Amino acid sequence: MLSSVDPTRLKLTNDEGTRGVLVGTRCQDCQVCVFGPAVFCQACTSSSLEPVELSQRGSLYSYTIVRVPPSGWPGPVPYFLGQVELPEGPQVLAEIIGCREADLKIGMEVELALQPVILASGNGAETTKAVYKWKPVMSTDAIQEASP
Amino acid sequence: MTQFRSGREVSVAGVGLHPFGRFRDKDLAGLALPPVTEALNDAGVAWKDIPVAYFGHVYYHGMSVGETALGKLGLTGIPIINVENACSSGSTAFWQAYWGIATGIFDLALAFGAEKVPSGPVTVTAEDSPERYIGADHMMAGYALRMRRYMEDHGATATALAQVSVKARQNASLNPYAHRKETVSLEEVLNSRLIADPLTLYQCCPTSEGAAAAVLCASDALDRYAIDRQRTVKIAAAVLRSGNYNGRGSDHSAFSPYRTEPAALEAYEMSGLGPEDIDLAQVHDAATIGELQQIESLHLVPFGQAWEATQEGRTALTGDIPVNTDGGLLAMGHPFGASGIRMIHETVTQLRGEAGPRQVAGAKVGLAQCSGAGDVTTVHIFTK
Ligand SMILES: [Zn+2]
Repeated sequence: MLSSVDPTRLKLTNDEGTRGVLVGTRCQDCQVCVFGPAVFCQACTSSSLEPVELSQRGSLYSYTIVRVPPSGWPGPVPYFLGQVELPEGPQVLAEIIGCREADLKIGMEVELALQPVILASGNGAETTKAVYKWKPVMSTDAIQEASP
Repeated sequence: MTQFRSGREVSVAGVGLHPFGRFRDKDLAGLALPPVTEALNDAGVAWKDIPVAYFGHVYYHGMSVGETALGKLGLTGIPIINVENACSSGSTAFWQAYWGIATGIFDLALAFGAEKVPSGPVTVTAEDSPERYIGADHMMAGYALRMRRYMEDHGATATALAQVSVKARQNASLNPYAHRKETVSLEEVLNSRLIADPLTLYQCCPTSEGAAAAVLCASDALDRYAIDRQRTVKIAAAVLRSGNYNGRGSDHSAFSPYRTEPAALEAYEMSGLGPEDIDLAQVHDAATIGELQQIESLHLVPFGQAWEATQEGRTALTGDIPVNTDGGLLAMGHPFGASGIRMIHETVTQLRGEAGPRQVAGAKVGLAQCSGAGDVTTVHIFTK
């Protein structure tokens, strides 16, 4: 059974850790919605907040291909990093998987995808966590082509 | 917007700079001290007359390094404050020194900053942060995201972006303190190794070590300390801000240019000057895109047009709004604690007319803007 890389921002919805939903916080006074938990509204400082489940799909605001990863990055290099704008307002940065470089395009529709990632902790022990990523919303044919 | 009561007028009396580069044989205090003595000599002020000091640095090199460094000049018992405010640590130390005098508490103050930086990509969060596994905590990737979006939104070309680095190196070739003094061609910039597409290596600032210092004095106390008024530079505005909600979420990629505009507006209001009065500017160019978005946020050029202004040579030493005249972060490198005061050093040197081969003719008003991760912005305006 997998656990979420960050339970405050990614809630798993099955035991296998293959499905989940990103969690945000919406202000009941000014309606601004942010990604992740909050005690006070980032926009107006109100404490009348409610947790919201964010949309599974968003639009690619920008992207980059990271060739030199930060320390602690557990995945392959290079990797695609996407800045995704959700309908509720927040932007969420995460890796983009399941696509080729030529497919990347600003404005393209992407959807949430969870992947198990093996994380090494300081004492040499390893744990596997479900990490949220983005993948393009494409036809089945295109997905098969993109798979190596 | 913050409401300020007008305080005493404050001047920069002296500045000092350690060359930027790699200095493996020097510890942090050893880097920090030479520009301090240089700034004191430049001002003609004795160490024993300094009543307060602020030291900017980020990476941990033991506790109270400011005290360790300055203690070598003699233990005078003054308050010494160590300042960590990300990439703006140095300019935050300067801002505190300014307000210590403007509010009437001190006549003199020392601001200095230094940094020894580890190699590799700069990260913002702590090592066990989930951000590391998600892959989002990457300073240059954040710039790359902004760069691609800027190019898409405004039609900016890769060549225009690369010209920012070419110009930085041209300026740095005239500056003996710069880390990267060799000029580079557009082709060399564009063909250098990709760090995070479309950002290439030569469009990212190097990780460098260095130090800078400034001595500030109340303008009404200059004569008391026999400071040469011919060489002082007036501080017309000193602004430090943290982030306002920008409507774009709280990711690292969203920081910086959105924060600069409110800080700039506050600095213009405080100084009674406008963007049209600025003769030269030092801005936070940790990557090429940074310079373009900062000068737009400072209203020095209209939004979306900085890339064309750069291509037209308007931001070069001979242009109508020279930017990063000493080579900026792109050629000086970016020792976090030092960069903000390094920008002020360059501004003061230019306004004194002492910048030698990179002197901007007739410079009377200079602006220095420094950003920091976690949403810090400083804007200072200086007049001669
Ligand atoms: Zn609110």
